[in-house]
Amino acid sequence: MLSITLKKTWNDFALDVSFDIPRGKITALFGPSGAGKSSILRLISGLEMAEDGFISNGNETWFDKAKGINLHPQQRSVGFVFQDYALFPHMTVEKNVAYGIKEKWRMKEIKDLISIAGLSGYERHYPAQLSGGQKQRVSLIRAIARKPDILLLDEPFSALDWQTRIQLQEDVKNIIKQFNVTTMYVTHDVSEVYKLANNVIVMESGREVKRGTPEEVFLGKRLSTRVQITGKVVGIEHDYIMASVTVMHADQFFKTLIDTEELKSLNLRVGDDVIVGVKSSDVILFKI
Amino acid sequence: MNFAAPLLLSLKLSSVTTVLLLVLGVPFAYWLVFTRFRWKFLVESVVALPLVLPPTVLGFYLLIVIGANSFIGQWYESIFNKPLAFSFQGLVLGSFLYSLPFAVQPIQTAFASVDKKLLEASWSLGRSNVYTFFRVILPLSRHGIITGCVLSFAHTLGEFGVILMIGGNIPGITRVASVAIYDEVQALNYGSANMYAAILLVFSFVILAAVYFVNRRFTRTL
Repeated sequence: MLSITLKKTWNDFALDVSFDIPRGKITALFGPSGAGKSSILRLISGLEMAEDGFISNGNETWFDKAKGINLHPQQRSVGFVFQDYALFPHMTVEKNVAYGIKEKWRMKEIKDLISIAGLSGYERHYPAQLSGGQKQRVSLIRAIARKPDILLLDEPFSALDWQTRIQLQEDVKNIIKQFNVTTMYVTHDVSEVYKLANNVIVMESGREVKRGTPEEVFLGKRLSTRVQITGKVVGIEHDYIMASVTVMHADQFFKTLIDTEELKSLNLRVGDDVIVGVKSSDVILFKI
Repeated sequence: MNFAAPLLLSLKLSSVTTVLLLVLGVPFAYWLVFTRFRWKFLVESVVALPLVLPPTVLGFYLLIVIGANSFIGQWYESIFNKPLAFSFQGLVLGSFLYSLPFAVQPIQTAFASVDKKLLEASWSLGRSNVYTFFRVILPLSRHGIITGCVLSFAHTLGEFGVILMIGGNIPGITRVASVAIYDEVQALNYGSANMYAAILLVFSFVILAAVYFVNRRFTRTL
């Protein structure tokens, strides 16, 4: 568990927070611009130093003002994904991903990582030759390649267009899940919190104002309301990570993604009768 | 008298000065960019002085500092058994100081223009300051380093006032091409002066054209 207590003042803005980040979970730092979300990530990673407080990762102390401990960013097991990617422009995708890997024998993992990010064939491309979504994927696997204890994402989707953002959110969720890395990310997008986060901390003017699961925080209670639709499985496509299942109800088709492992455990086949459960938080309303 | 000797001496002086400026100028420029020293502006002002000072002023004070009666001059002579002023080594020292801003400023500007996020990305990926310098800062600053080197080389090649003050006009030792031109004009040998001048003109033009060409190509590849 990552335990954090931080205090810092910048001119007329004061940050004062204290919370724990559960291991293996995705925690969103949610709030308006200027709430101090990105500053928290910078303080955790050691890119900035707090005036008071402490940061501990399990038994390891990264920062303790009282004891005069302040590890350099290099000494903290952190992967940082920047909003504007921060890819090295003079290095290829392959070299960017390999940058943080110090062990020579691990170099063979680079190809696998690039493949997981869906960038096979782009190994020799330079960042300037990639789209925004591809750059952010490179940035993510570059951070993960170091095998950090905690992954910090600073508004990773804000520089992307809507369509790319939706697609990338799904990809990022899968990649993080696959590597089971404790993740903390900054956002001011509610739908993004629902889509990615297990827990959310709401920030306002440098302070935590709410904490819990997305449902607890945004609806004030555990979500029980759900729509249930019965139907028949009419199509299954899967690779080694995810499966796409198409269900027909009356003359409507529903397509949903589940883990391939889950598909195997359900022993789902075409023709089976199923219930499709839809959480109200997953429903988006458009005025027509 | 050997016509090529002053030209070769100029090339030798420019090459030695440029190498020295590269070796010492790169870490110095790095320090200027990243130090929090509160009096940094004074150091920068001293480095930039040769840009505004008449070369004779720098030459005069250098002559005082390294002359045979000075502490440095006597110390040097006691070790190397020859004077520092009016020697090739003295010229290198003068050229180094005179061309310092031409080397340091482009390199400093290039270092400062590297996106700080890239340095932070490197640190957060577990890499040290030294590793970050060689893998990120240096490659992304190569246009500034090339510019600094070439400007230093070209500036040293065309140097006249400082050299005349601290080196005089000793054939084979301190008589560089720019001094040779002055000497030939004084002796009314306009033909020889013209040859030296034309060679320096063409050489300087080719060097500057090469810098602009390389920088343009570099900008395109990023």
